[in-house]
Amino acid sequence: MSVRISRLGKNTLVLNTPVMNAAGTMGYADEYRDLIDFGKLGALVTNPITLAPRDPANGARVVPLDAGVLVHTGLPNPGVRAVLDTNRDKWGKLPASLRLIAHVVLLSSVEDVRRCIAALERVERVDGIELGLSDEISPAEAEWSLRALISKSEKPILARLPFGAGVEMARACEDAGADGLVISAPPRGVARDGLGRLVSGRVYSPTLKPLVLRLVGQIVRQVELPVIGAGGIHTPQDARDFLEAGAAAVQVDSAVWVAPNRLEWIARDLGGLVLTQPAGALADEWFPSMGMTAKMPAQDKESTDKHENDLD
Amino acid sequence: MKDTQALIERVTRVNDTHQHLHLSVDPSLMSMKAGQSVLAKVNETWTPYLRQQWFPVKLTKKALVVERPAAEPYQPGQVVSLLGAVGQPFRFRRSLRSVLLLAYDTEPTPLLMTIPALIENKIGVTLVLCGVAAKYGTAHLPPEVEIIQGDSELNWQNRVTTIGWADQVFCAAAPEVESVLLARALAVFREVRADVQQAYLFGVFRPPLPCGIGACGACLIKVKGSDPQFACAHGPAFDLTQVGGLG
Repeated sequence: MSVRISRLGKNTLVLNTPVMNAAGTMGYADEYRDLIDFGKLGALVTNPITLAPRDPANGARVVPLDAGVLVHTGLPNPGVRAVLDTNRDKWGKLPASLRLIAHVVLLSSVEDVRRCIAALERVERVDGIELGLSDEISPAEAEWSLRALISKSEKPILARLPFGAGVEMARACEDAGADGLVISAPPRGVARDGLGRLVSGRVYSPTLKPLVLRLVGQIVRQVELPVIGAGGIHTPQDARDFLEAGAAAVQVDSAVWVAPNRLEWIARDLGGLVLTQPAGALADEWFPSMGMTAKMPAQDKESTDKHENDLD
Repeated sequence: MKDTQALIERVTRVNDTHQHLHLSVDPSLMSMKAGQSVLAKVNETWTPYLRQQWFPVKLTKKALVVERPAAEPYQPGQVVSLLGAVGQPFRFRRSLRSVLLLAYDTEPTPLLMTIPALIENKIGVTLVLCGVAAKYGTAHLPPEVEIIQGDSELNWQNRVTTIGWADQVFCAAAPEVESVLLARALAVFREVRADVQQAYLFGVFRPPLPCGIGACGACLIKVKGSDPQFACAHGPAFDLTQVGGLG
């Protein structure tokens, strides 16, 4: 199975599996190596990277919500130079089939962002750039910024739209030459922390899925670019809904934190891998050869009996 | 770090406010040390959404024992999902004779797993319960532990002597106001001791942990002269003299 998530061209991004994590959820490289089989994912999207280092936000950064969480990290990162120094070798050890997408934040000047992207593009292992557009940016500003960045870029640039941005923004990104769209960033919200203080941050929740799904459905009909759906995906069915709506691939966000095996589960499911679970097994007690069951034909009775005997 | 399942084998009430869950866990969790924790998910629903941070209080031959508030309903036979071990063990000095454990406006749960090993090594343990922590019943703790109760301003009997005797201090504070309370604790220790040296006074940081693995960046602690550190991966204990923003 191969899925194209950027325009056709010299460096078109093609994934083995239409599933990846969302930016900000899995670190910069192999932080989840003990919990997730990276070989089952289509791509790894890094945490946000900026040209200069950024400190973590002050005050409360996490506010638990009903069926969700509000997170305000302040986009802490050590700056692109330190990110490369620390992670270049780790990236080299990731499975070759895994595409590596660096998430760059469009917060500072376009020149700073261009220098950040240029530094990342010099690393062969980086397959593409995901550019996070700020929440306040207008379609005209987005188009202008993207034009300036894309004209000097070698690798595919995916534009991650702010939550709620619609067709106008998507068209602006397409006109500017973006290679793909990610719809969308988590919405911003405000909630009270344990002390009753108001905290602003991004909201992660399974309840966001219907909202983003609608946006994806609207936008894919209006643009030619491949679209990656992102928001509230917690089950394979959630992910399938996005593909049915027209997305080429999906990003899984906070589900990675609360149930890391869900990402692999979704990736296996959408990657055409068959899950086999003996009747009565505990949730993590899957059939031992599950990892090797790529496109396994439907089991006949004899093999089913054998699996049951294996468990005895 | 592993994603495993555990079985609640026994639930025992230890005082008015807390209960112990005896967990049959994956063997990898049977080597947990004081300071380390697990992130637990007790049901398949998304409420609560984030995993709860559970601190073990002791290891028996067959079970990992964690302490939870008595108000939370648990049943023997219940299966829970555990991510762990999270964090690094507390680092004790080699020439240790006396340790002060300070619970400030919070239950002392994150500190309790240190006690069996310290007692076994004939190291004196003093547990100071200040503010709300003074309501924590201590009848289940070993008799070798000296228990002192104090007020919410960190005053307790023989405070100067207690602090003077301690070779190392570990302080847990109410998570909602952690930085404020830990800053106050640092100020009190600086007032009592002329010089609070490095690796003497540690704060146990327990912010909400979305990932618990050092990936999401939500629990970063500013450390003087160094890059920010993850409370989940590098903590939970940090030298309070080195934590930025505490004064």
